[in-house]
Parts: sequence; C-alpha cells; structure tokens
Amino acid sequence: MLKNQLILKDPLNSLGFGTEETEKAGNFGAVASRAGVGKTAFLVQIAISSLLKNKNVLHISIKDPVEKVNLWYKEMFFNLTQPSRTKQDKELWESLLTRRFIMTFETENFDLSKLTSRIDGLKTQNIFSPQLIIIDGLSSEEPIASDLIRLKEYATRNNFIIWFSVRTHRHQTADPVTIIQQLGGNDNSDLFNMVIQLLPEKEMIQVKRLSLIQDTANHPSLLLDPSTMMLKEDAVN
Amino acid sequence: METSIQKVRNIGISAHIDSGKTTLTERFLYFTKKIHRIHEVKGKDGVGATMDSMELEKERGITIASAATYCQWKNYEINIIDTPGHVDFTIEVERALRVLDGAILVLCSVGGVQSQSITVDQQMKRYNVPCIAFINKCDRNGANPFRVIEQLKEKLNHNAVAIQIPIGLEADLEGVIDLISMKAVYFDGAFGETIRIEDIPDALIDTAKSKREELVDAASVFSDELTDAVLEESEISEKLLVSAIRQGTLQRGLTPVVMGSAYKNKGIQLVLDAANLYLPSPLDVKNEALDIDKNEEPVTLTGNKNDPLVALTFKLEDGQFGQLTYIRVYQGVIQKGESYVNVRTGKKVKIGRIVLMHADQMEDVDKIEAGYIGALFGVDCVSGDTFTSPDFKVSMTSMFVPEPVISLAVKAKDIKSESNMAKALNRFSKEDPTFRTFVSKETNETIISGMGELHLEVYIERMRREYKVELIAGEPSVAYRETITQSTPFNYIHKKQTGGSGQYGRVAGFMEPIDEDDFIFENKVTGGSIPTQFISACEKGFLSCLDKGPWMKYPVTGIKIVINDGASHSVDSSEMAFQAAARGAFQQAYFKAQPVLHEPVMKVVIETPDEFQGNVMGSLNQRRGMIIGSQDEGNMTSIEAQVPLAEMFGYSTVLRSMTQGKAQFTMEFSTYKQVPKSVLEEIEKKNDKKTKTG
Repeated sequence: MLKNQLILKDPLNSLGFGTEETEKAGNFGAVASRAGVGKTAFLVQIAISSLLKNKNVLHISIKDPVEKVNLWYKEMFFNLTQPSRTKQDKELWESLLTRRFIMTFETENFDLSKLTSRIDGLKTQNIFSPQLIIIDGLSSEEPIASDLIRLKEYATRNNFIIWFSVRTHRHQTADPVTIIQQLGGNDNSDLFNMVIQLLPEKEMIQVKRLSLIQDTANHPSLLLDPSTMMLKEDAVN
Repeated sequence: METSIQKVRNIGISAHIDSGKTTLTERFLYFTKKIHRIHEVKGKDGVGATMDSMELEKERGITIASAATYCQWKNYEINIIDTPGHVDFTIEVERALRVLDGAILVLCSVGGVQSQSITVDQQMKRYNVPCIAFINKCDRNGANPFRVIEQLKEKLNHNAVAIQIPIGLEADLEGVIDLISMKAVYFDGAFGETIRIEDIPDALIDTAKSKREELVDAASVFSDELTDAVLEESEISEKLLVSAIRQGTLQRGLTPVVMGSAYKNKGIQLVLDAANLYLPSPLDVKNEALDIDKNEEPVTLTGNKNDPLVALTFKLEDGQFGQLTYIRVYQGVIQKGESYVNVRTGKKVKIGRIVLMHADQMEDVDKIEAGYIGALFGVDCVSGDTFTSPDFKVSMTSMFVPEPVISLAVKAKDIKSESNMAKALNRFSKEDPTFRTFVSKETNETIISGMGELHLEVYIERMRREYKVELIAGEPSVAYRETITQSTPFNYIHKKQTGGSGQYGRVAGFMEPIDEDDFIFENKVTGGSIPTQFISACEKGFLSCLDKGPWMKYPVTGIKIVINDGASHSVDSSEMAFQAAARGAFQQAYFKAQPVLHEPVMKVVIETPDEFQGNVMGSLNQRRGMIIGSQDEGNMTSIEAQVPLAEMFGYSTVLRSMTQGKAQFTMEFSTYKQVPKSVLEEIEKKNDKKTKTG
C-alpha cells in the first residue's frame, strides 16, 4: 500500500512525461541547474521512483563518496514517507536497497569507457543489472560528444535509461536546452530525450520541463521545497 | 622533558612484516643511546629486539601490540609507537594511529611495495598521517631503491621523491648522498656510529644533480618562495628546501624518501634527522575530542599545557610493579600526586608514579605535558579511557561500545593453564572493551566473545603464547537473536494445588514487537486484580524467558509486555506463583506472535586493486552480501557491503588467495536483520544436530 502511494509521487509523471520517454531503452534525460540548486536531490527522487517500480538503479557519482550518496537516498526516502518513520517504511527502505548500486569515481579517474567496462563486469558476474542509470557530477565543459553517442548506443543495447545532472554556469547565456544539446555535438542535438531545469524562485525552486522540439503542449511545472528538496504536492502550476 | 613542543615527534614505524622495522627501531634506540647493545629481531643471542616486548612478537619476529618508547635525537624528543603491521588487530591499529602524529613507512629495497605496505599505507591515509619513507635493505642482492620509489608513486599514489641517493648498492653500499646539502655521507665504525661527510664522488655528481632537480621541482609546489628562487635561478638555501619539503609532507602532498640499511647501520642517523625535519610536531596536528554533555559533538583541543587536561590511555601492560598504563596527553599537564577524572567511569583517579618508557625500561618523571607520551603506574583503568581535569567532560573515544557479535567456548587443559587463562582474560577485557568473557550458566564453559573471528583468534593466540595457556577452543557461534513480529494477547493461570501449600496466579495482557528497546514491561493492571506486591514478580517471570527463547533458544529482544488483568488467591498466591504464571503466559503467546530469527550483519569495506574488484564483488554476493557501492580510488577500488557475520568465517583467507594478498578488509557490526527462510532451515538443522549429539 505504502509503495503504491509513493509511486504516485513520481516526479516525472507529475511533469507529464510519458512512458515512451521515461522507459524507452537508450533514452537520455538531463536535470540542469546552477550549482547548489538541487540536481542531486531531484535525480535521487527520480531514482527512488524507479526503485519503487522494482527497477534496478545504478547511481554513479563523480563527486560524492558512497556514504554521502547513500545518505541522500535515505533522507529523500524518509522525507517522502513523512511524517512517521514506521516499521513498514523501514522494511520498504531495506527492500529498495537490494535494487540499488552506488558507484563513485574521482573526477580525474572517470571516463565513460571505464564506466561501461564496470557495468559489463557487474552484468557478466550476475552481480547487478541496471535498468536506470544516474550519472551525477559529469563535467559539461569538456568535449564529450563522441563518448555520449557511444554511451547512448550502449544503453540502447543493454536496455537502460540514463539521467544526467548538467551544471550550468552564470557565464553561459544560452538556454539549458541549447547547452544540453551542445553536449551531443553539432550533429547530435537529439541525444537527450528529456530535459528538466531547476530554477530558484523566491523561496521555492521551480522544476520546469523544457521542450526539446517544437512542442506546443502546455507542460506542468512543479515546485521544490528548498528545506527538504521534496516536490510540493499542492504546487503544480 | 624540557624541549619545546615544536621539537616533539610522536611517530609510528609502519611496514611490511619483513621490511626490518623492528631492526630499524632497535638502531634508533642504539643511536639515541637508549640501548648499548644491538640485538637481532629473531634473537640468535636469545634476547630479541628491544621493542618487541611480547613473547609472541619475539618468536615470530613481528609486532602485534603497540609499545611506546622514548628517545632523544639532536634536541628533539621522539616517542616511537610500534604500530601493528597487521590490519586484523583493529583496536590496536586504531589506538596506535590515534596517538601518533607522523610515521615512517619502511620498505624493502628488494621486495618494494608489498601487499602489507599497501595495507599500512591505507591505514595512514585513512587517519591522514603524514609520512616519510625509508627504503631499507639497500645492501641486499637485487636492491633497487629507485624502482621502489616508482612503486610508491604507482601503487600507493604517493608523490614520492628521493632526498638521498645511495653510494653503491648491494654489497657495495657505502653511504648516501644527501640531496639537500649535496654532500656524500659515510657511516664508519663498528656500528656506523661515526659520520664522515665528504664531497660527492665524481661518478655520482650528474645523477645527484638531476635527482636534486627532481626534488626541488616537487618541493616547489609547496613554497612560493622556492618557486621564485627556481624561476630567478638564484641559489636555493638548505633551509628553504627543507621548509618546502616539510610543508609538502605535512599536507600529505609529498613523501620524502631516505634510504640505507638498518642491519648494516647505514643511513639510520639520517632517518632520525628526516623525522625531526619533516614529520609533524603535536602542534601541527589537529586533535579532536567528543563532548559528552553535547551528544559527543567534536571539540577541537588546543594542545596548550595551561588548559584543562585531556589524556588518552592507549595501552596497558602487566609489569613487576603492577599495571602500566601508556598515555598520551593532548592538552594540559598530568602531574604526579594530582587527581583527575576517568571520563568513562566518572571516578577520580590519583596519579602516583609517572614514567617515560623505553620498551622494558623506564625513567621516573613528575609530569607529562600536552603532546607527550608516557606511562602511569597504579591507575585502575582500561585501554581507551580518557582522563580529564574535573569539570572538563570530553572523551577521546566514543563512549559507545558495540555488543559482541560472535562467541566461542575456551577450555584450559590443566589447572595451571586455567589460572593463567583467568589472568589473561581479565587483562584482555581491560585492554579491549569489545572483548568480553563470562562463564555459561548451563555448560559451565568459559565463553569469550568479540567483534569477529580474527578478533577472537588473536586473543586465543596471545593466551597460548604470552600466558602459556594450553587450551581447546570451540567452534565460533554467531549471536543470533529471536524477536516477535505480531502483537498477541495472553491469559494464563498458574494453579497448583496438589499437596503442600498451593500456588495460584493469573496473568493477562499482550506482547508486541518494538524496535527501540530490547525489553519493555508495562503494568496497566487496574483495580488490584494482581496485587501490587506481585507486579515485580510478573516482570521477573517474563524477563527470565528472554535469555533463551522458547523457539530457537537464542536471546529474545525487541519485545514489549503489557499486563492489564489477572487474578490472585488470598492464600495460594505468592511471588513464585506469579513468576511461574508470567513464564506460562510468555510460552502461551510467544509462538502465536510469529517469532523470527535475527542475525548480526556487518559493514564490510574491502580495499582491492582494480583488477580484482569483480571477483571480490562476486565473493560478497555468494555470501549473501548486499553491495552498497564501490568507490574508485585510482588503482584501488573500495567496495562497501553489508554481509551477515555467519557468512564471513574464513573470509580473510579467501580474500587473500583471491587477490594475491593485495586486498584488505575491515569489518564492523552494522545491524541485526531477519534471517532468510532458507538459511533459517539450515540453522534449525544444525541446532537439532547439536541437541541430539548433546
């Protein structure tokens, strides 16, 4: 029961994404914002929603140690099940852990080929087979277009979806969609299928779904409470 | 002890087992005039090296427990803490690393960076201990110190840079060239005690120049002044170069490398010089204590001798004058005749005798000031206790002591061994709060319990070696626990009226699972249906059922008992009757409350070279482990997992063979979790077998 209630809080669903976008193998999503606005917290919420749907999540962090990433999950999960921390909540949390794997890298030691060989290792040995991958902390300033194209092919072949955090900077005047499309290089602007922007707005953080194509649909945007980094349920615009 | 605190060094000597660290320590003591003869580690002369004071260490030529020894070198006071080279002795390692400020990493010039060097290096990294490296055994066939420096860089990720180069190698080792003074240094006399300084031999001038350039280049990162001097091509003074190397070392950004041969007495004095010059003084290290009144919040200690005392006991030894307690003072002064508080017990302790230790010999002093290490006599305490001035309630170690998760029975073979075993167990449980011992009421066996298989193995070995105990050790058993999962009512009448005085008591209420406590008893009886004087008998009755659960015979935890009704008889009711009624009620409800078995689950962290990480993860998977994650750290990967303790027996051997001895693991208790059904059946079968075989 608790599980079903929590699934209803799926942030991607609330933003109007359909299963064609969120579940198609090889699809890329990006959560973009300036530093410190809440990319990790939002990605963790996407991951928890997937875990609740019995999907295996591989969380890759290129900045935080395992313990810190684990703490993010714990905090976000128990924020989600508020107000009480019941035995049922704890049991559900324990069961989710078996479907999550955290992998962290030091910035200087990370490259996408190393990552794919690690994933291959996990799969071959039947240790873990991801269905959703979160890549948090990948630098958006280095030219990585060809790597991303290969990674997309790899994700399609291996049947998983990848969400990235993309850090934008004050000096970047282009809108996040352009910045993200540039990650794929000039000829691959359709590398990403879903883009979400987090924007600080007064005392809240606005969560905006950005259009990648000429899309006339009016997508809802959401609000995050900066004190908990959770979606505000009553604040869908 | 009149030296300024800047000239104090508390150092550890860490190394692979056969790298010669005990020989090096022995030579340090010889050159600092603390001993007047040199013994070999394995004791051909039957004496053994001075630092290895425990019999076991003498015999094996290895160091297990840390001893501290004090010496002076060129107006610097050096406390050498002999650190264990084995990662299994966690409490020893943690205490030793806590107490020292810097370390000398000893490497063999032939063997290079070996698996144990990786282990000890990781310990130092974990505790952020700055170090210098000494490449020993340069007199051996196949010696190649430069290859070892490369390995330090590649395998340990050290920014290692030579501050010396050898003059000759293997049998031709004559001395070293000091790249800071650019002079050749020779060690003359029977024990290399006479230092002769000469110009660099012509044949080595070019190598020395190029190596010095490398050194200056590496050191300049830590000093703008040195960088400027390099850019302006002005002369680089020794002082400037030393200061830059020191800065780099203190930040763990640079590892200066010295070399020589401890056995042949070549280069030892320069290792002491390097310890003085590059390793931190107590003032260079930030030390923290935990504020007991503020939920163990960290408090930074000042290191000032005028502030309230904070001192940590880190080792106990039995001496001819009673218990000897090694202590490090972090703040304030500990003074003979004064009283201080043992934070753990809250009791005042008067200090009788204070000594400075040199392995088995000692020197009486009146006080120990902040930054220094010494030992106390006649103080009743356990290892890891903190002494403070009254009203300054901080502790150097967490007051939380985890419950043991594994136990085994030990039996002495004869009467002499029995009395020695009692002495040993008493000592060990004082030294290590996670090691417990008791006599089982049922089997009358002595049970020892601790935090892991290796933990207990070490103590068994120490009993055999140090205390000459001949003993038989049983199979280790995991501390399983039973608990209930459902709230269940009970209503039980205990009635016995057959001859003699009768017994009558009725107890009604319910039991329910709880998370936060092991046992809660609540009395909700109204109207005197159970007279007040029998309520505590009811509680006692329930409590007596918890030691051994009715289902699997393991302790029952996480249970709340609420009594809300009952009945008594004016003549036949008694304390005994209500205790029996409570026991009956417990038995009645327990199985309906759907008991489950919980097992200890350990947090296991494995540090392994990259190439083995797949196999290591596989081995954890096979052991019902849940991998939390992996952390890529250059050539090494650290894997964190939660694994049931029952599956970890013998894992160190498995890991060693799987990774060619290059991986290491630490294990600590994490939580209790429900045993899966398939495993439960196995345990039930084992228990049945045990019962049948008696």
